[in-house]
This record gives sequence, structure tokens and C-alpha cells, in this order.
Amino acid sequence: MLKELILGNLSLEAIPLDEPIIVAAGVFMAIGMFVVLVGITAFKKWGCIWNEWVCSVDHKKIGIMYLILSGVMLLRGFSDALLMRSQQAIAADTSMGYLPPEHYDQIFTAHGVIMIFFVAMPFMIGLMNIAIPLQIGARDVAYPYLNSLSFWMTFVAAMLVNLSLVVGSFAATGWLAYPPLSGLKFSPGVGVDYYVWALQIGGVGTLLGGINFIATILKMRCPGMTLMKMPIFVWSVLCASILICLAFPILTVSLGLLELDRMMGMHFFTQLHGGNIMMYINLIWAWGHPEVYILILPAFGIFSEVVATFSRKRLFGYTTMVYAIGVITFLSFVVWLHHFFTMGASANVNAFFGIATMIIAIPTGVKVFNWLFTMYRGSIRLDTPMLWVVAFFTTFAIGGMTGVLMALPPVDFHTHNSLFNVAHFHNTIIGGVLFGYFAGFVYWFPKAFGFQLDERLGKISFGFWVSGFYFAFMPLYVLGLQGVMRRLVHYDNVAYQPYFIVAAFGAVLILIGVGFQILQIVYSVKHREKLRDKTGDAWNGRTYEWSISSPPPVYNFAKIPTANRIDEFWYEKEEKDPAHVHPNDTCFEDIHMPKNTSAGFFIAVFSGILGFAMIWQMWLPAIFGLVGVIFTVILRTFNNDTDYYIKADTVKQIELAHYKEMLS
Amino acid sequence: MSQPATLEAHHHDGPGTDVFGFWIYILTDCVLFGSLFATFIVLNYPGAYGPQLKEFIQLPYVLTETFLLLGSNFTFGLAMMTFYKRKMAWSKLFLLLTIILGAGFVLMEINEFYHFVHEGYSWQVSGAASAFYGLVATHGLHVSVGLLWILVMIIQLSVTKNVRLNEKRMIMLGIFWNFLDIVWIFVFTTVYLQGAL
Amino acid sequence: MLMLTQMIKTMGRTLLRLKFIFITFLATLLAGCDQKVTGILNPKGIISYEERILLFDSVALMLIVVIPVIIMSFAFIIRYREGKRTSAYKPNWGHSVFLEGFWWGIPCLIIVALGIMAWHYTHKLDPYRKIDGYPVSLKVQVVALPWKWLFIYPEQNIASVNYLKLPVNQQVQFFLTSDNVPMSAFFVPQLGSQIYTMAGMQTQLHLLATQTGTYRGLDSQYNGDGFSDMHFPVEVVDDAEMKAWFASVKNSNKTLNLSNYTKLRQNSIAHPKEFYSGVEDKLFMNIMHYYMGHGPLKFDN
Repeated sequence: MLKELILGNLSLEAIPLDEPIIVAAGVFMAIGMFVVLVGITAFKKWGCIWNEWVCSVDHKKIGIMYLILSGVMLLRGFSDALLMRSQQAIAADTSMGYLPPEHYDQIFTAHGVIMIFFVAMPFMIGLMNIAIPLQIGARDVAYPYLNSLSFWMTFVAAMLVNLSLVVGSFAATGWLAYPPLSGLKFSPGVGVDYYVWALQIGGVGTLLGGINFIATILKMRCPGMTLMKMPIFVWSVLCASILICLAFPILTVSLGLLELDRMMGMHFFTQLHGGNIMMYINLIWAWGHPEVYILILPAFGIFSEVVATFSRKRLFGYTTMVYAIGVITFLSFVVWLHHFFTMGASANVNAFFGIATMIIAIPTGVKVFNWLFTMYRGSIRLDTPMLWVVAFFTTFAIGGMTGVLMALPPVDFHTHNSLFNVAHFHNTIIGGVLFGYFAGFVYWFPKAFGFQLDERLGKISFGFWVSGFYFAFMPLYVLGLQGVMRRLVHYDNVAYQPYFIVAAFGAVLILIGVGFQILQIVYSVKHREKLRDKTGDAWNGRTYEWSISSPPPVYNFAKIPTANRIDEFWYEKEEKDPAHVHPNDTCFEDIHMPKNTSAGFFIAVFSGILGFAMIWQMWLPAIFGLVGVIFTVILRTFNNDTDYYIKADTVKQIELAHYKEMLS
Repeated sequence: MSQPATLEAHHHDGPGTDVFGFWIYILTDCVLFGSLFATFIVLNYPGAYGPQLKEFIQLPYVLTETFLLLGSNFTFGLAMMTFYKRKMAWSKLFLLLTIILGAGFVLMEINEFYHFVHEGYSWQVSGAASAFYGLVATHGLHVSVGLLWILVMIIQLSVTKNVRLNEKRMIMLGIFWNFLDIVWIFVFTTVYLQGAL
Repeated sequence: MLMLTQMIKTMGRTLLRLKFIFITFLATLLAGCDQKVTGILNPKGIISYEERILLFDSVALMLIVVIPVIIMSFAFIIRYREGKRTSAYKPNWGHSVFLEGFWWGIPCLIIVALGIMAWHYTHKLDPYRKIDGYPVSLKVQVVALPWKWLFIYPEQNIASVNYLKLPVNQQVQFFLTSDNVPMSAFFVPQLGSQIYTMAGMQTQLHLLATQTGTYRGLDSQYNGDGFSDMHFPVEVVDDAEMKAWFASVKNSNKTLNLSNYTKLRQNSIAHPKEFYSGVEDKLFMNIMHYYMGHGPLKFDN
């Protein structure tokens, strides 16, 4: 009896020792973790890791941790992609390939879930964390403790997904887990439960992050920086955060109701007893469509920053850019039905949503033209961030075009669920979101770490990524138009195989591109002294993050700046030369900072225990996890020692050191 | 929650930012309940499969529940007023009364569920019933969390000497408690009145 | 204003002419591979044919914006590359009402055109709508099962599994549902649109094949392990052959009674073709009613 309450359905059989690929992946993960843990112990870094990173409430450190999580999960998600591409390149006609359907179905599900929730979202939130407070002249985000909690919840959710690989299985339902396939009848195992709990935990983290950034942007801008003087990246993050706050609760409800069906025998989405699967599809896409705009808006913001900086020219049409972002934000809530035109809604309904979807192309197109005309009559430097922008123009134009194409219901009746659809969303997500985040990564890397990334390796990886993308996805457009569907584990028409082989070749090119990115980071770390960013202004930037050292001091700004116009820092540099005043001539004050805390970490760990225990129906550990969460939250509120002051003298010393380095 | 990092006298009001953030959280909770309402309405269309909710509802019972919850809001208001007047003992007393009334609400709701189940309206019987329990129990869970928060608040009023911090917390708790009352009005109207009439 | 309208009309006509050249080019290219090219690019039914025209028209309209964008993105980085800093460099110029009006306006016009097309064709090509100008001469009831398709011809009282025979140049009306399988979707790309099939619900589709031949039908919505094998041949034949086939199926010694149907609705992958000479009365209706909670059918699910 007690054993059941503690162990639930968990047993040694949950480890899939009979599947060699999974065993290999599990061993690889274990070795990786082991190496990291041994390394940290050998270099005696546990104290530093715990105090400076795990417990950190500093947005800069949290941002870096998000980026590391995103990078590691990219390897997992991309491995899934390589498995899929190689399987489909082989499995034509009588060949069944090497992946049985049960396994393949989990791979494409995990690929989608990992890429959206654990690569794209953390990548975006990482960049947001690093850049936003710096761009608005603030010392940190509005709620530093919540920021730490948000990260650790995302981290724990990612670990749950990784755990599902070796203990149990993952969902085999596609990344949105439509019922009734995801219901108890057709998915009786633990896979969908892992999916739900991981996303619920991660979802809480993201939602808190959305609240955090809205409050930060609306409440903590430096004096003089009215809304219409903020950098465009800040506008895009504000709107993305509003979308997060409005959309993620819908995801919480969708997944929550699905899990109630599974755990408590309810009938929200069952085929019998009055359930309605169309309700789930509407709810999940009411979240799902804003989600993709959550991803793309910050990328658009990054493009605005990079284009202006690398064209050495002010952004064209600032006001219309802001309105365009606002229109996109609003419209993203009235188009969700275009994800299921084929579900049998009336022509009026389909047509309405189709037209609403097409209208989004207008503000998006306006932004593209504004960027192009920022370049027009500028003085353009083609460093790696700018290269990503140029690749974005062509790639996203094609992706956007195929999107508007599919917004026409009669066309969508052919392309829905086909490889054309797959090609479209990879086109916009890779060409828009990922290229944008890569640009932002290279752009803000010096600010976060204090040294630049090697340019040559950056350009090489760029070349492989872009060419790999086109080889991997252009064939899918052709296949989609020929009536080849997505999620096929094998297919019978051997005429399709050449296209799949080309696509697999593209995936290999991207793999090489990723390899060069890793090499670039390793190489740049090794040569960081040579690549050091001494002035803090690595790119001759226009916004306030470039006015402080790289990496910034823990308090960011010794003196909060005053912004009188857009790109105030740029004009300060033009008008005063240098824009920096000697620290000895400045009057410094004590700076109030929040203290690090382990509360965020522990709440997340207890949430993970709760999630894992609920998946395996281990009731005692589940109660332990729940009590742990509540207890830690309450305990934290009784902690009165949550902040400290940095003395004015210390600030002065730090500023002096930076000033000296700038001049050297 | 810790104070924000930029607490300069000329610049920021810490409590203001925290309360603002809490309002945004309430906004997200609105969307959450909105989705649950939408689900309830869709799954409870006329002629939906399964036993009808109206056969089980007893309006006087629900009215009593409602008065308990509304009453608890009134006592919270008194707790807030006495807090501002720095009459901490009274404030804690009214908070305790709030807990009692709120707990009464939750207990009546659990009792209602118990009877429904025994009369044949369990959450496993139909999609319509699932939607009923999903919506009403989510509200009930929020109220229960609120009760725990009020308890912690009472302890904090005794233990924590930082009045500004406590004021901020009381404001947020008040927003939360009032919000739950407003949601209940919608639940009462959509689920019980529509269901019964 | 008049000049603008005339400009747009000429542009439109040129585009349409270009589109015909493009289609002819594509068709010539594909003519040799007529058998190999499948899907909307090689339509054999009225609906697919119209949908292909819509596809090409929309692409043509959108290329008006996409091609200049691509060209400009390369032209500008070449022309305004650093190092060529000439008097062209205007670092503080970032505003032009004329230009903004231009690139708000042109996309708006294109979207208006596309919007009108969307409204018109969404209604005309609505799967639930009968195809204009042709009477419905055949009804087929479709049941998605795990992982195969059941086709019932109610008026002829026969049924087939994983094999669909349709008459050429005649409108066929489909009624679709699912049983014992997650949501699926019926799709014959060369003939027309796809439509979801859901348990307890009925969806509809209208198709009209314009050429005899064998085409591919499939499930487009992933529904589990047998998904990749849930495809079936669609044979379009002339009226005489159709009637002959009905007669021959009537000679089959299997009928789709309740016991055979119960066996059929169990899981199977790559199920072989089957033919039934009689169908249980009101089977399709009762399958749907089962999920609605009433009707005579009882399965242990």
C-alpha cells in the first residue's frame, strides 16, 4: 500500500532498454551531464555556480542561463530533425526506414515541442532579459525574484521533457496533442502526461515573465524616455509580453482540461459522453496563433535595432513601426481559425478568418519596407548580424507569401497538413524568428560577455545555415503541392524520394552550420582577450546598452541616463566627444540592489517533483512537491533580508576601472 | 516580493510597481476564467448529452453561498479600513472573519459537489458536467488559495514590522479577493441562474 | 483617379497574361511527367482545377511586393555599402509620407484584391456546397476507421474498404464521419479539397472528376501509428463501367452486417481492399448516433 503511494506506476520497465536509439541518446545525455558535473567539481566551481548563477536575480545572468538552455535544447530538437530527415530520405516504397512508427511519432512530437517551448521561447526571453533593462536605462527588471523563478520553471520543464526520453515515453500526438488522439483511449501511456505537466510548469514561468516585462517597460524607463522614444526592440517586447499575458492562460486551460480528462475521467474532449474535440482545437489555437507572434515580434524588434545600427542611420518611420507592431498584436487574436479551415466551418466563417489573416501581411510588409529604406542611403556594414537581416528579407518574404497563400481557404484545403504547410512555418520561424535571434545573439554577445564573437566563423556558419535552410525546405514546398502530407513515417511513391534526399542534405548543411556556431563560441572564448570589447560600444550603437561597460556592472548604470529623444545615446556621442565624462567629475550615490535568492530554484524543483509524481501517479511524492512549492513561496515572503546597497565608493571604483579600459 | 532594484527616491514607487504587476496577473486570470466560461457555454448547449444541471441546482443554497462570499468581501473591506487606521488587532480580527466566511463558502461548495455526485451528476458523467466542475472548482480553488493567503497575512501583520510592505500586500490581497467575488457573480449568473431558469 | 484605375487594369491584364505563360511553361514541363506529378499541380477534378487557378493568381499578385523586396534587399547593400560613403549618405533621414503612403497603399490594394477573391472563392468552393451546374448523381458515405477507409454507397447498398470508384463528369456528394479512430481527414488531392472526419459529427464534400484514371486518396490528419498507410486508390471511370462495378460488387459473398463491421472497426494497418454486397440498415447514421449517446449500436470502447 505504502509502496503504491510512493512509487505509483513507476517501475524499472519504464526505462526503454529495448530501443537502441533511445538507449544511445540516454547514454549520451548522461555522459554529457556527468562531464559537466565532474568539471564543475574539479574546478571547485560549485560555490560560484550556486551563489552567482543558480541564486542570481540579475537579469543579465538569467538571460545568459536562458541562452544556454536554449542552445542545449537546440541540439536535442535538431537531433530529432536529423532523425526525421534521414528516415524520410530512406523510407520510400518498400523500405520502412529504421524508425518504427511508435518511435517516429514521438520524435516529431518532441521536435516541435522542444523547438517552440525550449529553444525559441528561452532564446527570446534570454535576449529580452539581457537587453531590455539596459535599453530603457533601468537597473534590473521590475520583479527580479520572479525573473529567477521564471527561468527555473522553464529549466525544470525542459528537464521533464528530457527525462521522458529515458523514463517512460513522450507524447506521440504531434506538438499540439489534439484529442481524441491525446486522450486516454488513444494515448494510454504517460507520454501525454509528460507533455502536459512540462508545458504547464514552463507555461507558468513564461506567464510570469510576460507580467515582469510589461511592468518593467511601463514602469521603469529612465526619465525622459516616453513610450514614443523607446527603442523599437522595447516596443516589440512590450507587445510580445502583452500577447504572452493574454494567450498563455488559454494554453493553461487547454492543457489543464486535457489532463482532467486523462486523470479524472472527465469528458471535455472525449468522443463519447458529450465531449467536443473542436473546443480543444479552438482553445489551443487561440493560444497557438498569438504564440507565433510572440516569437516573431521581438525578432522584428531586433531587426530594427540591427538595421539602424549597421546602416549607421536612424530607423525609417519610427511611428508607423510602432503602429504596425500594435496592429499585428491586435490582429493576432482574430485569426486563429486559419489553422483549421478544413474542420467544416461555414464559408462565411472561413472567409472572415482568411481575410483577417491576410490583413496582417500589410503591417508586416510596411515594416519590411521601413527596414529597407533605413538601409537606403545609409552606410552599411555587413557584419554577421546584418547578414542575418539580409537573409531574413528574402526568406521571410517567401515564407510570408506562402502564408498569405494558405490564408485563402480554398488553397488551404489543399495545403493543410501537407509538407507545404511544414515548409511555410519553418520558413517563417527559421527565416524570421531564428535568423532574428541569431542576429540579436551576435549583436548582444559582446555586451553580455565582454568580448566579440569571431566574425569569420560567424560568416561561415551563416553561409551553411542559409544554404542548408533552402535545401531543406524548398523541396518540401514542391512535395506539399504534390499532395505529400506531414508526419509520414514512410511513403509509397518513389518519385518523392529525390526531394527527401535533397531535404536531408539541407539538414546536414544546417548541422555543419550549427557546428561552426559552436566552434565560433569555443574559439571566441579561447581568444577572448584578443576579441575584448573595451569600450562597451562594440558596434558604435545607438541605444543605451552601449553606453556602459561590457559586461555591465551588476547595477548597470552608475547614473540613470535621461533620454530626450529617440537614439539619445547616438546623438550624445555625436555632440559631445567623448560622450563619457571622467568618473572623478561625477557625484555617485549608493545603489539599492536586490539580493540573490534560492527560492526561485527551489519552487521550480518542487514543481518538477510535483509534475513527475503526478505523471506516474505517485501520490505521496506529489503531495510532497505541492507542499514544498507552497511552503517555499510562503517562507520567501517572511524573508526581510532581500536587498542591499552598493556603496558609492565601490561604484566609483568600478566606473574608474571601466574608464581606464576604454582609453587603453 | 522583493523591492525593485531601482528604488531611488526621486524616481520609483516600489509598492506601485508591485501592485501594477498584480493587476496584470488579474488580467491573465480573467483570460483563464474566460476560457473556462467559453468551454462551459459550448459544452452546455441546449440538448447536450447527459443529465441536466438544472435538475440538481438548489437556488436558495447557492444564494446562501453567495452571501457568505459577498460577506467575506465586506469583512475584508473592514480589515483594510482598520489596517489603514493602524488598528492591527481589529484588522486581524476582520481578516479572521473573512477566512471563516470564505471557508464557509468553500465548504458549502464541496458539500454541493458531494450531493451532486451522489445524485448522479458527477464530473465523469458528461462533457457538460465536466465543464461545470471545471469552472466552479477552479474558482473554488482560487478561493482556497486566497484563504491560505489571508491566514499568512494575519501572521505577517503580527510578525513583519514593515508597514509599507504589509500595506502593499493587503492591497494585492484585496484586489485578489474582490476579483474572486466578481468572478463568482459571473459564475452565479451563467452557471446557476441560466442553468436553473 | 481614372489614370490609376487604368494603370491597375493594365497591370492586372499583364499579370494574367504572364500567369498563363507561367502555367503553360509549367504544364509543358510537367506534361511529360503527367503520371508522376500528383496533387493540385495536376488537377483532375473541377474543384482542384479552380483551386489551382486561385493559387497561381494569388502568387502572381503577391510577387508584385515580394520581388521588389528581394531585389531591393540586395541592391541596397551593394549600393550603400560602407566605404562607398558618398553624398548619398543621409544618416538622419527617416521619414517620408509619400513613400509610406506608397507601401501602405499598394499592399492594401493587393490585399483588397485577394480579399475579394477569398470571399468569392471560399463560398464557391465550399466543400459543403453543391457544384454549380451539375446534379448530384452519386452519394457516398465515408467512415474513417483505424487505419483504413470505409466507403458506403447507400443508394446502391454496397460498400468497399480502401477502394473508391467514382464516375467521371458526375457530381458525387460525400458524407463523412469517423469511428474508433482519432480525428482524420479525407483527401483526394487531384480531385478536390480535404475535409476533417470526426466521431459523432458529419462533414460533407462535393467532388467532380473530369478525367478517367487512378488517383491517390489519403488521410491528411495524423491519427496514430497506422497513419502513413491510410491511403487508397480512387478509380474514376465512365458511367457504363461504374454500373458494371456496382453489379459485380453485388455478387460479393460478404455483407457489411454488424458483426463484420465490428471486426472492421478494430485496429489494422495497410488493410487490403474489401467489398460488401449489402450494408446494415442506417449504418452510417447509427455510427454517428453511437457517439451522441443514443441509437442501437453498442461497442465496448
